[in-house]
Amino acid sequence: MSGYDFQNLRVLIADDSRQIRALLKSFLSGFGIKNISEVSDADEAFIEMSNFDPDLVIIDWNMPPTNGLDFVEKVRLGENSPNPYVPIIMLTGFTELFRVKRARDAGISAFLAKPLSAQSLYKRLIAVVDDNRPFVRIKNYFGPDRRAARRTQFMGVERRGQ
Amino acid sequence: MAEKAEFIRPRRHISQKVSKTGGPSPEHAIVKALNAAEDIISGYQGWAVDDMEKLWLTFLGFVDTDQGKITEEHVLTMYNLSHEARGQGGSFGFPLITLIADSLCKFLDGRGGLTTMDLEIVRIHILALKAVFRQNLKGDCGALSREIPNLLLALRNKAGIGENHHQ
Repeated sequence: MSGYDFQNLRVLIADDSRQIRALLKSFLSGFGIKNISEVSDADEAFIEMSNFDPDLVIIDWNMPPTNGLDFVEKVRLGENSPNPYVPIIMLTGFTELFRVKRARDAGISAFLAKPLSAQSLYKRLIAVVDDNRPFVRIKNYFGPDRRAARRTQFMGVERRGQ
Repeated sequence: MAEKAEFIRPRRHISQKVSKTGGPSPEHAIVKALNAAEDIISGYQGWAVDDMEKLWLTFLGFVDTDQGKITEEHVLTMYNLSHEARGQGGSFGFPLITLIADSLCKFLDGRGGLTTMDLEIVRIHILALKAVFRQNLKGDCGALSREIPNLLLALRNKAGIGENHHQ
């Protein structure tokens, strides 16, 4: 036994695909997580935030008619948000850079691109647990400090430049 | 003048619920996860074939429609079905489905309508998707996984929609 122990986590999954929800649930159960709640749309996810009180939300971006981005904005900026600080992993088949930036600017904690794998999900879980960025509030944004994420990304380049 | 920012350290953090020791090693955790997902992964092909049929029937509906009446909303319906296939294929062990559906998404993304040539390109994509299931092309398909995206890109380029058409 030498790894992270996730068994006390409460995870909320929101995806309109029943199969993707089942896959996520199986992976998370395999990681030792017992408390998992699943819903099929963003509005339901917001309601479940109050009922289930998750430590982590994994939500799909594209869930017509509403979408995961609306959920993120509602959680981060909504007056009646049950927990504006909850870590949110955005799950999506959209991988274009402008979309990644849009999700980041909505206040997500991490981005998980489909196709899903047990490895990629495990890595994101670790990243979210180890993420010690403060939250920042400015005029049009509330969420994890985006500049801290950029500093971490470019640390290697900065060091070589010194 | 720089915008004033307020920095907040939430009192509650996910790390408070996770011990960094005492759990299975990452390798073991991943093996357990894959074992837990075995049934759902093996069942994919059954229901995905039905989804593909839905995509095909939606396409046939387009062909029967007067081209001028194919609206952005119609295209969006097909885009959403392709987008689902793109996300699911590789997740359930069919990366070729993801590659072909990705090409179809790139072709349909942001389109207001479809011409006769466009419909032909969509048809070729859907037939390719159906062929992957018919031939049971699971996992890494080697050279095919490199050649198919290139062929589909060439096809999209013929219609003037290649890479980065949104950027």
